[in-house]
Amino acid sequence: MRIGFLSAVLMLFWVTCANTPVASAAPPDATAHFEKKVRPVLVEKCVSCHGPDKQKGGLRVDSRAALLAGGERGAALVPRKPAESLLLHALAHDGELKMPPKNKLPAAEIAAIKEWVQSGAPWPDSGATTSPPKSGERVFTPEEKAFWAFQPGKRPPVPKVADPGSRVANPIDAFLLAKLSGTGLSLAAPADRRTLLRRLTFDLTGLPPTSAEVESFLADETPKAYEKVVERLLASPAYGEKWGRRWLDVARYADSNGMDENLAYVNAWRYRDYVIKSFNVDKPYDQFVREQIAGDLLPDSTGAERADRLTATGFLVIGPKMLAEDDPVKMRMDILDEQLDTLGQAFMGLTLGCARCHDHKFDPITAKDYYALAGIFYSTKTMRNHTVVASWNERPIGTPQSAAGLAEYEKKVTVAKATLATARSPAAAAVAGFAVAPLVANLREKLAAIEKARPPAAESMAVEDAKGENLRVHLRGNHLTLGVEAPRAFPRIFASGTQLSLGSDRSGRREFAEWLTRPEHPLTARVMVNRIWAGHFGAGLVRSVDNFGRLGERPTHPELLDWLASEFVSVKWSVKHMHRLIVTSAAYQMSSTTEPAALLKDPDNRLLSHFSRRRLDAEEIRDGMLAVSGLLDPTAGGSLLKANPRQYVTGTGSRNYDSYAHNRRSVYLPVIRSAVYDVFQTLDFPDPSVTNGQRTATTIPTQSLFMLNSSLADQTAEAFAKSILLVKGDDTDRVRGAYRRAFGRSPTAREEARVLAYLRNSEEAADPKLTAEGNRLRVWRGLCRVLLASNEFVFVE
Amino acid sequence: MLLHNRREMLRTSALGFGGLALADLLAAAEPAPAPRLVGARDPLSPRAPHFPARAKRVIFLFMHGGPSQVDTFDYKPKLIADDGKPLPFAKPRVVSSATGNLLRSPFAFKQHGQSGAWVSELFPHIAKGVDDLCFIKSMHGSNSRHGGALLELHTGSDTFVRPSMGSWVTYGLGTENRDLPGYVTICPTLTHGGVNNYSSAFLPAMYQATPLGNAGTASSLATVPFVKGTTTAAQQRLELDLLADLDRERTTASDAATEGRIQSFEMAFRMQNAVPAVQDLSKETAETHKLYGIDEKATENFGRQCLMARRFAEAGVRFVQCTHSYKWDQHDNLKKDHTNNAREVDKPIAGLLSDLKHRGLLKDTLVIWGGEFGRTPVAQGKDGRDHNPHAFTMFLAGGGVKAGYSHGATDDYGYFAAEDKVHVHDLHATILHLLGLDHLRLTHRHAGRDFRLTDVHGQVVKDLFA
Repeated sequence: MRIGFLSAVLMLFWVTCANTPVASAAPPDATAHFEKKVRPVLVEKCVSCHGPDKQKGGLRVDSRAALLAGGERGAALVPRKPAESLLLHALAHDGELKMPPKNKLPAAEIAAIKEWVQSGAPWPDSGATTSPPKSGERVFTPEEKAFWAFQPGKRPPVPKVADPGSRVANPIDAFLLAKLSGTGLSLAAPADRRTLLRRLTFDLTGLPPTSAEVESFLADETPKAYEKVVERLLASPAYGEKWGRRWLDVARYADSNGMDENLAYVNAWRYRDYVIKSFNVDKPYDQFVREQIAGDLLPDSTGAERADRLTATGFLVIGPKMLAEDDPVKMRMDILDEQLDTLGQAFMGLTLGCARCHDHKFDPITAKDYYALAGIFYSTKTMRNHTVVASWNERPIGTPQSAAGLAEYEKKVTVAKATLATARSPAAAAVAGFAVAPLVANLREKLAAIEKARPPAAESMAVEDAKGENLRVHLRGNHLTLGVEAPRAFPRIFASGTQLSLGSDRSGRREFAEWLTRPEHPLTARVMVNRIWAGHFGAGLVRSVDNFGRLGERPTHPELLDWLASEFVSVKWSVKHMHRLIVTSAAYQMSSTTEPAALLKDPDNRLLSHFSRRRLDAEEIRDGMLAVSGLLDPTAGGSLLKANPRQYVTGTGSRNYDSYAHNRRSVYLPVIRSAVYDVFQTLDFPDPSVTNGQRTATTIPTQSLFMLNSSLADQTAEAFAKSILLVKGDDTDRVRGAYRRAFGRSPTAREEARVLAYLRNSEEAADPKLTAEGNRLRVWRGLCRVLLASNEFVFVE
Repeated sequence: MLLHNRREMLRTSALGFGGLALADLLAAAEPAPAPRLVGARDPLSPRAPHFPARAKRVIFLFMHGGPSQVDTFDYKPKLIADDGKPLPFAKPRVVSSATGNLLRSPFAFKQHGQSGAWVSELFPHIAKGVDDLCFIKSMHGSNSRHGGALLELHTGSDTFVRPSMGSWVTYGLGTENRDLPGYVTICPTLTHGGVNNYSSAFLPAMYQATPLGNAGTASSLATVPFVKGTTTAAQQRLELDLLADLDRERTTASDAATEGRIQSFEMAFRMQNAVPAVQDLSKETAETHKLYGIDEKATENFGRQCLMARRFAEAGVRFVQCTHSYKWDQHDNLKKDHTNNAREVDKPIAGLLSDLKHRGLLKDTLVIWGGEFGRTPVAQGKDGRDHNPHAFTMFLAGGGVKAGYSHGATDDYGYFAAEDKVHVHDLHATILHLLGLDHLRLTHRHAGRDFRLTDVHGQVVKDLFA
């Protein structure tokens, strides 16, 4: 009894003196206390996640040593120091870490554990359990190091083609034939010239050939007729509009922020036009990459070049952002993550985003690599602030005079604001008494007048360097649980000795851009030639065009991929050269007709024994409909976005963005995140919030509803019909005219008969509400709608 | 394995629809067309769940803006007692706006039904049916802003664009009527994520919700894009026949993609009839209209949404969402605006629940009610409450959940979920489980990894199951 009483007193003493270290060794009662009040709680409530089976957060709680060693967040237990023991903070739910996560332990249990810690955390059988291994720098396995995508590219020799009868127009064919040899399959016969011209014209410009272009090509019997067309198309401004748009998919381009606060990006179009121009002038790809990452840091010679290079860094700014995140640190890290995820996939085909929370599970990219790279962009100013609703960075790109005008304006605004603030201060009121109100009103008006007179200045969404800082690894991606510092660096797996040593004077972006565009970088050239290849053959040599990692696909033709990459670098990264090479190969000019054997042996056409038919993408369908109907307005560049800077483009009421009634090419229509133009949404336009190098082509009933009922289908069919009705002659002549215009060919006799039968039936079903002329238009509009909706129109053979 | 096959199929094959006779297509669709089953190659065809399902379909009644838990279903006597006093514990580290002291609810609470559930005077009609409801009082989420919270509730992520809950469900289970979209959202919001709240993101496009109008459209006018045109039915039939003949003229045997496209025009033609038929509420009795409050001005709009939801559910649509648009955000005017908001939805929701029950649909239809977060028990201004993702109430009904049950609890004032906490990820895991889907196995590989609705989180709350 007495002992019991004493121990109760002692316990009370420990509890009340919780923060006072107790010098003496734990009395035997403390052990009993542990066995009765502490161990059962740990076993029942904690060990299922922190024991032999699972070690969440790297922590076990089934031995004293394990608690002392702790987990990713450091020691869980500091004997005799409850206030310093993470364990107790987690139990108290007083910080970010709350354990158990669902239900806080009863106060009595928490008090018992606190008491145990205070008493020195005795654990009778603790000596037996060793501490869990701590995670150190990850060592890459030989397999990881040997992964194909991280090996430097070599230029493989072009295979010899044994069969002299083979059509080998250039090395591409030799590589493809080498792969086909022994499979019983071969390259299909050449496509007919009309089919080839339609394929080539859509592939290089996104538009159908006109009937005049078809006729002139079919009439040209000179040996270089095809090459001439290739040059004509590559020189056409429509080329940059088509291939620029493909890059914009990769760059997740949009004219609004999307996400929570869908604000207008009124200057995003400058980046879009920069991309189109870059393709049209065949800007070397390495330069194109450097400009988008660090254009603002590159030396420039002219003002126009300067403007272009600032605009190029819009790549880093145009992403979707949570602008109303209450936690500014989280907002900043999320924006950073979006940048890394995009640039990783876009330039290197690597899913860097996976390493934000932990080492990449499949690729040799560690969380430390991630934060080392992230530090470079953390040291880059992408946002003007991170307070709700946050603003992204924009920079003037005008002449020095207009920049000076803007600076002058900003100075005036600052002064006027300061004056106003002074006048409104309590001190001013105390001095001037009642006279303050009119003064304030006057100053307000002045400020408003100054703000209204803001000189017009062209601005681009662009970044700039900030103070160079390293980040610490964020455990589980959480900015509240920081690990070791990660000095800014390139991913270790392919850094190959060229590491950085960066101080606070720079971000390291320029160094990163240079590193990325070294000729020997194993991924940059491979990823881009694969994108170009996929744009012509419908699928890449690596089919997962944005993922060259372990979970991506392996190249079907690794030697060809490397040969193309090496060729690309050797012609100074000329994209147009690669197009020329690909489209003049015999393989590109094959027919899409499929042999039954090929379908059986190679249903996905990975060996490329024939050309793969493809459905036109959203822009090609719309532009094609406008082109055939004669409505297409070829004006290039500029903005069609109807919005003020930072205006909400979608809202809660009836505010939806629907200003798409233009006849310009689709690439110039605004891309509104969270509310993409319904025509585009219907036709598989990719989500403009994420990188997407590979369009898909689904077949869904809404696409058919679009062809049947949309106003775009109505308008184009009607314009098409009106122009066909002007064709001289009889209905047969007009039907032939319509076919030539839509498909560049005449109808077969069977088709002609079927269409004429339709015309008769439709005329008979006259709508009494319409005039004779109205009925005639109805009948022909129906035919034109059918031609535009047909498989022949929406597929490229 | 099944899902892997499905993925393979999506990737490698075009849609091949089961052959359907043309005569079939022309039959006028009745108010709620019977489910039309389709061939096995169609990626939207009905699919077996991972394990026996308790619910076959979902109706999600989304209250955009954040209804206040302490003014609706989470009765807090201590909040009344301590009205005007400071909160006796710390406010969250991250808040959306500055707030003051505790503010009691201006609404009176009473217990209802056998279950004795507390309901405030805001919901007199729902209160009558509380014995059918399964309340979760301990909901919590991660984001204190509408955009993040909406996206988290709809997609599981408050940071990135991810497939929506309904897309995952349709991806996992397909749909039962191919004359209708498998996943519809009636009058969805245009803001706080807009389309991303119902998009399929990286899942194939066929799993995206088909929106009927938007928050700015009266529900009487909301319909599927492009479903109505200017061409007469007779003329359109002539055009479709011509199109099919011309397409087939050039089709070779190997043309799965082109044949799929020919079939999809017929499907579109049927959808043109089927969708307006389901939306045509004139076939319903006056009594039903009254039940949903369609005969009253205040309740007409949401009443129509709810009745349409029942008709879509009945017709085999897998996931239907109704949105009571951005109204519940009472930073001020709590008393007046919460009263008006509740009035607009109370009768329609009660009507929907009793109608579903009466028709025997409630047992396998999971109804979900709630907003993107709750509100603070402390005052913003004099008559308002700030956003509160740390505690809110949602209720479920039907679909295999306990009736007349309340799960979890908040602290004394309703600020933080405290007992048996249910995170939004847990809710998602639970919803999928009720539908027979294991949230750990319902995955899709994208950009180098397998994605889930619940990301790396989510625990099924089995306590909710009947």
